[in-house]
Amino acid sequence: MSIRRRIVTVVAAFAALAIAVMIWAPTVGSTPISLARAFDRSIPWDDNVDAQIFFVARLPRVLAGGLVGATLAAAGVVLQALLRNPLATPFTLGVSAGASLGAMLAVTMRLEMTVLGITSIPLASFAGSLVATAIVYALASSQRRGLSTNVLLLAGVTLNAFFSALILFVQYLADFAEALRAIRWMMGGLDVASYFPIVAALPFVLISFVAFAMMTRTLNLLSVGTEAAAARGVEIVRAQRLAFMSASLATGAAVSLGGPIGFIGIIVPHLVRLIVGSDHRIVLPASALFGAAFLVLCDLAARTLMSPIEIPVGVVTALIGGPFFLWLLVKRS
Amino acid sequence: MCALLWADNVSFRYAAGAPLVVDGVTVRLTDGALAGILGPNGSGKTTLLRLLSGTRRPTSGRVLLGERPLDQLSRREAARQIAVVPQETELAFEYRAIEIVLMGRHPHLGVFTVEGPDDIRIAQEALASTGTSHLAERMFHELSGGEKQRIVIAAALAQSADLLLLDEPTASLDLGYQLEISSLLLRLNQEQGVTMAISTHDLNLAASICRELILVRDGRVLAAGPTADVLTPENVMLLYDVEADVRINSETGHVTVVPVRLAAPKRIREGGRISRSSSGSGR
Amino acid sequence: MSTKSGRKITKSTKYTKYKKVFFVSFVYFVTFVVSFVSFQAQAPPKRIISLVPNVTEILFAIGAGPQVVAVSTYDVEPPEVRSLPTVGALIDPDTERIISLRPDLVVTYGSQADLQAQLTRASIPFFDYRHGGLDHIMVTMRALGARTGHVDQAETVARGLQAGIDAVKNRVAGKPRPRTLLVFGREPGSLRNVYASAGRGFLHDMLVVAGGEDVLNDIDKESAQVSTEMILARKPDVILELNSASRLNEADLKAVVDPWMTLSSVPAVRNKRVIILNGPGLTVPGPRVLDGIQKMADALHP
Repeated sequence: MSIRRRIVTVVAAFAALAIAVMIWAPTVGSTPISLARAFDRSIPWDDNVDAQIFFVARLPRVLAGGLVGATLAAAGVVLQALLRNPLATPFTLGVSAGASLGAMLAVTMRLEMTVLGITSIPLASFAGSLVATAIVYALASSQRRGLSTNVLLLAGVTLNAFFSALILFVQYLADFAEALRAIRWMMGGLDVASYFPIVAALPFVLISFVAFAMMTRTLNLLSVGTEAAAARGVEIVRAQRLAFMSASLATGAAVSLGGPIGFIGIIVPHLVRLIVGSDHRIVLPASALFGAAFLVLCDLAARTLMSPIEIPVGVVTALIGGPFFLWLLVKRS
Repeated sequence: MCALLWADNVSFRYAAGAPLVVDGVTVRLTDGALAGILGPNGSGKTTLLRLLSGTRRPTSGRVLLGERPLDQLSRREAARQIAVVPQETELAFEYRAIEIVLMGRHPHLGVFTVEGPDDIRIAQEALASTGTSHLAERMFHELSGGEKQRIVIAAALAQSADLLLLDEPTASLDLGYQLEISSLLLRLNQEQGVTMAISTHDLNLAASICRELILVRDGRVLAAGPTADVLTPENVMLLYDVEADVRINSETGHVTVVPVRLAAPKRIREGGRISRSSSGSGR
Repeated sequence: MSTKSGRKITKSTKYTKYKKVFFVSFVYFVTFVVSFVSFQAQAPPKRIISLVPNVTEILFAIGAGPQVVAVSTYDVEPPEVRSLPTVGALIDPDTERIISLRPDLVVTYGSQADLQAQLTRASIPFFDYRHGGLDHIMVTMRALGARTGHVDQAETVARGLQAGIDAVKNRVAGKPRPRTLLVFGREPGSLRNVYASAGRGFLHDMLVVAGGEDVLNDIDKESAQVSTEMILARKPDVILELNSASRLNEADLKAVVDPWMTLSSVPAVRNKRVIILNGPGLTVPGPRVLDGIQKMADALHP
């Protein structure tokens, strides 16, 4: 019972943090607004600036930040367990590079189609992430042994390098404005101004999270070694496949929504492990919740620190990430 | 006596076209046996152990657990009956000792099941069996070599399996720890009836606790049977290319092997293939 | 005078005379050569290569068109340039090709330091162009006029453009200036990554001439990315969006304007003053800029 209680207690604490942050964040911003007015139903919607700032500008942004932050942090945890390496990130295996290439092509080819209400850039970037996932999977699978994590890592790193080169090439061919737009997309942005992109990403994230939930104890075993895990009853091939696919799907959805926001997938799991230990049954949900809060706070900083100018949220996470790693390095030595 | 685990003429290669790492090996483990699989590095011992535990399927031949072929069991079912103590345990993250031991309960738990009081009791008993109860809350990576090995054995015990397979359990341990572990294993076998197969290249360890030995070289069984019968100077020569003094130690009553000098490397010609012992641990 | 000395005197006199003639001719010859050479060095360039599309347009407008032998990959106006060879652009100028075309004047961007260094080594003069405000267009016209030997024509074109600009200024003088968000880029289909004029630069100057007030004036940058919150908070009276499509039918127009509708509290949206200005040459700092200014003025002050 104590294990179950510990899991529930810790996760509940992180949930409280995440909820508190996400309730507070939309009330704060570069423009002072009156919450009373924003929630005043008697004022017609078209006249209520405070309400529009709250419900159109800020709330979708906070929700998107929560979703993307939770997803990237959780995907980071899963990939670190899969690759048995605490330095792995959701972007290590090339998913984000595929997404970026997709977005880049959409920008430079000036694609302007909308499918099921999803505009061209998120659509193309999601497609790119799926293509990258498929390629890495194909490279790393063999019929007999299933997924080899070493080959997976190599395939992912190779794909990252290759796609990054393609991205540079496409940027070079693009004209100035397109190249700028593309670079800007790659710094990440959560200002969605609409609930629809969030709703569109949600099914993929939910499916992945269900898979994650089923895998938590298995991740513990996998992180000790595949042979040991197999001897303890883990179907290695199936577990690795599930971990890779779900983490990649989740990452693809998150990057399509908010761009490739870096460092969430590695800072958050690290910090959470420092606080709660390494049991993935706690680390996974706690990281998701902490990731949501963390990214929402980073975005809050991004949209208020240098107001009226906004710092791209990926820049904020990177500015935090650098010193964080420095501190980790110093702590270890 | 029927065999608890029977590897029947098994062979294995890691990839198509690769040489056979295990070549026509037969191993019979009866209930309560304490067998040693002895051979130099690279002789295929680790692979053989994997075939016995079911984490690899033999390329030819079959492995039977009791009456049933091992490959018909799911990993979970197999893990409930066979536990493995691996050669090395390298953690990617920092776990406490008790968390490592509780991982042994995995084959008994459902997908969303959390360890219950029974599982915790079994884990604690396992720690007690290996004399490591006081280490439960310590971080695994901070433990000494001997302590780590005992925790890993406790994790295998927590699986509540009838059969324990150990891969080089004393390989990197000091003499004191070696003695500790070997007496622990003997005790587990004799007092708790745990059937064991220990793969090792340490002749004296094998001689001191194993009642039967299987000598393996280049993936083939050289000899198998009761320890005293099998561990002869001729067999030691065949196994290690070493002239040795094999005798029963008056203090312990066990067979001991003391190497005297190197012999010329034996080349076993088998169907045109030259076999030599290779360096490096078995794959 | 003896016969001997007489003969001698005659000889030396003749010799001196030849020397004089020779000397004077030589001096005339040298002077002629020097003047010829220096005259050539100051003659207008006959083979101009332009890497800057709006400068190309200016060159043709001031009559230097026939002297242009190659243009950048992005040049499309005037139509004559489409048959000319291209030599790269801002990031990728093809130096070898440029030199091989034997130009005597190359128009480069101010930031193309490498290219300029190589041109200097090859003794090819260049014209260093940098973007500036609206006034800079006229300055560039006059400078190029002087450089290419079309001073009068350049003066005429510059004055004409100035007159056009002044006409617009007069037209909107005294009228209240609507607070305007001048958008020149965003993600299609949504309001993400909106880029707008922020108080500086020639697009801003165009807006001011057309009688508008830049709602992002205080940021004082050529362009800024605006968040949804900022647009809602600043409440622009008019949203002008620049679109490079040459033709937009009704369905396209609606699709472009549609994403703005979510910001219904913004006066520009409420009063249906979200206006798309489309056309390829609207914002090129060259002779066609008057068209853009006039379109802006029409939109702001109908």
